[in-house]
Amino acid sequence: MNIEIEEEPKIEQGNSCFHCGDKCGEITIFKNDKSFCCQGCEQVYELLNDNHLSDYYSCDLNPGISPTGKNFEFLNNAAFRNRLITFSNASFSKVSFHLPAIHCRSCLYLLENLQRLNEQIIKTSLNFGKKDLTVWFKEDKLSLGALATLIASLGYEPHISNEAEKPQNNSQKQLFLKLGIAGFCAGNAMLFSFPEYLGIEDGSLQHLFGYLNLALGSVAVFYSGSDYISNVYAHLKLRKMTIELPILLGILVGYGRSAYEILSHTGAGYIDSVSGLIFFLLIGKWFQQKSFDFLSFERNYKAYFPLVVTKIANGIEVTAPLEGIEIGDRLLIRNQEIIPADAYLLKGKSEMDYSFVTGESELIPITAGQSIYAGGKHLGEAIEIQISKELKQSHLTQLWEQQVFKDPNHKSENWENFANRVGMYFTVVLISLATAAGIYWYPIDPSKWSNAVVSILVIACPCALAVSYPFALGHGIRWLAKFNFFVKDIQAFERMAQVDTLVFDKTGTLTLQSQSVPKITFTRGLLDSEWNALYSLVFQSTHPLSKQVKKFLQHRTIIPLKEFKEVIGKGLEADFGDLFVQIGSAKYTHNHVDSPEGFFTSETRLFVAINHKPIGYIEFPWENRPGIEALLHRLRHHYEIHLISGDKKEHAAHLLDWFEDQDHMKFECSPLEKMEYIQKLQNQGKIVAMIGDGLNDAGALKQAQVGIAVSDDHLHFTPSSDAILKGSELPRLGEYLNYSKFGLKLIKASFLLSLVYNGFGLSYAIQGTLYPLIAAILMPINSISMLVIATWGMNQKGHGLERNKIRIKHD
Amino acid sequence: MEIMYLMIGLSLFMALGFVIAFVWSIRTGQQEDLITPAMRILQEDETTKNL
Repeated sequence: MNIEIEEEPKIEQGNSCFHCGDKCGEITIFKNDKSFCCQGCEQVYELLNDNHLSDYYSCDLNPGISPTGKNFEFLNNAAFRNRLITFSNASFSKVSFHLPAIHCRSCLYLLENLQRLNEQIIKTSLNFGKKDLTVWFKEDKLSLGALATLIASLGYEPHISNEAEKPQNNSQKQLFLKLGIAGFCAGNAMLFSFPEYLGIEDGSLQHLFGYLNLALGSVAVFYSGSDYISNVYAHLKLRKMTIELPILLGILVGYGRSAYEILSHTGAGYIDSVSGLIFFLLIGKWFQQKSFDFLSFERNYKAYFPLVVTKIANGIEVTAPLEGIEIGDRLLIRNQEIIPADAYLLKGKSEMDYSFVTGESELIPITAGQSIYAGGKHLGEAIEIQISKELKQSHLTQLWEQQVFKDPNHKSENWENFANRVGMYFTVVLISLATAAGIYWYPIDPSKWSNAVVSILVIACPCALAVSYPFALGHGIRWLAKFNFFVKDIQAFERMAQVDTLVFDKTGTLTLQSQSVPKITFTRGLLDSEWNALYSLVFQSTHPLSKQVKKFLQHRTIIPLKEFKEVIGKGLEADFGDLFVQIGSAKYTHNHVDSPEGFFTSETRLFVAINHKPIGYIEFPWENRPGIEALLHRLRHHYEIHLISGDKKEHAAHLLDWFEDQDHMKFECSPLEKMEYIQKLQNQGKIVAMIGDGLNDAGALKQAQVGIAVSDDHLHFTPSSDAILKGSELPRLGEYLNYSKFGLKLIKASFLLSLVYNGFGLSYAIQGTLYPLIAAILMPINSISMLVIATWGMNQKGHGLERNKIRIKHD
Repeated sequence: MEIMYLMIGLSLFMALGFVIAFVWSIRTGQQEDLITPAMRILQEDETTKNL
């Protein structure tokens, strides 16, 4: 199934960029009667046009992506090169890049014609689903770094991860093989059982068919069903009984009985049913493995860190891979870069933004000699630091040294799912029944005892549960993915259904920085010319706040500026002749901050001064995500809800009403404290879902039974979690949780139904009057009805969710 | 009824052929990417016009 991520429709009016479809601002570049929003887009167009690749634009409307112009020369470093190049010989090298920007047919066209842009490229092959591009190229003439830079210059910036990619696991392939072969065996076994169905008697053929059946059955049981055998064996060694045990018992007994009948020429056996059952079970297994290739649920802090750092050795700057840094190394850190390890500040001054690590949004000033922690983002002019601790022992990464991160299975190990809980009782009851029936019949009527035992074990095989389970939950995660709620696997979906406590992170999850309408607090109104000057000034800046102001003021005109100066970390100023405009921090513009209450951080306010007179500020305050109040209002009737935040309590005044009392909220938490908060709730026997967004929630997301990462812009950057939810869908979280509950209810209901089936069959089986063949026919019928119920039920409810969504949109 | 032997032999032979083809397609990774080839086939052949 193809999941499409909803995208905002591109605006198509007047001047939209021919390349990327963005609206062209004041600076529009015209070329060949086409308008472009920036130099980058125009260059890509020119490059493609010159190389006769302009079909790129005819595949799809405005397909392009504006390039960022990032340089990837650092990939030539041996450490990266050896990791990325998958194959290399004298004439060519092979490399795979992950290109998250791939989105349409045009991308395919361009990327598979890459050899026309550079003749050192031999050929390319794209995997659209995974967004991976494999390139065969002549490395002696075109370096890896130059290749990556070329691809990036087209707008497709490769995503290079900090860790070596794990070798692709083979389990999917194995499952396909087993599934295909089980299908082959089941189909042919049915063919060879045909004479038996029709009651044709022909001695020699019957025996031949019997032997062929036995051969097919052996392959189905011992090859296709080998996972069941090894899983049950592994669990028995741990003294655990799972749902797989009674299933395997049913299969083996059915197979054994058939083998006996065939070899002793006493009957035809029912290999067709046994191999058919294995086929069904494997289909279920395949269906439950829905993977979202374009998402990563296993990201750790390394994904956030720079790939390379600038080392200063003997006064010379060299770029080195992150793993290469050691204690005592001197590094150069530029504005907006992330500190890669705990260190001392040697030269310069810094405003450190730790929001990334601690969730606290206030900036911390650092002067030379003070220590700084890994994960902080440096704001200010370039500084020099000396590493004091290895990356692994850093303050930040200690979180990842916790037990929960080391054990990849800690969630599933401590979790008894419904099927396995039931499986245990089921097995015990089943075996006692079979034994009792055997002991009872053996002295009375020796001809009946084996019939009774076999029928009991075969008919009571809980294959219904084994079928309805993967189908109901598999449909569940497929439906949720349609609403941009990506659940990692069916186990996570099931845990979600059991949750009784929800813990929310505040910043970035419940609250968002207002994007659209700023609050303007000026001491006087501005003249048109002053607005225009302000707009022209913010146009020069790349600061996120300036960009927001720029968006807000779009309709203004640009006036030329005479002199322009940027003081990094503080602000900008420009001379427009009659006007001198400054924007930046309160101090820089000589504005005095009058409201300590509700004062967040300089980061949300852009202060303005004109002709050296403070004017006031434009603020983009943190506000509740739309729809959050309604969500919390509904959720608190059904769940215990908690709030945790790295911020101070004052910043959450507008949210406090929704949470019961002081025991349900905690402020100024470090990432580790957040994790411990979850632990504490779990120790009280609660089943907790954590809803958070940042790296500072990573511990809590991991600790909670269900960690839901909320992501706004890119679904590509989320901490390790069990599910990824698109920010705009958060208000509907309650409905999605209900859906998972419905899924589990459906499974339980269908399980009850199958118990009724089984009860019927069993009552005959115990009396020894149920012929094993009938038992073997009842079994697949039972499975099919479970499949139908699971599919129908989950789809009905899923359509309901869809209708709801459309209705809300229209309202 | 002797014809049955021949027919069974043939049917098994054919089915085995399919199984072998299936195993081969899995082993060589032909089932790994089911989206791109479908898109690739719809690509226009070369045109030299410049927009």
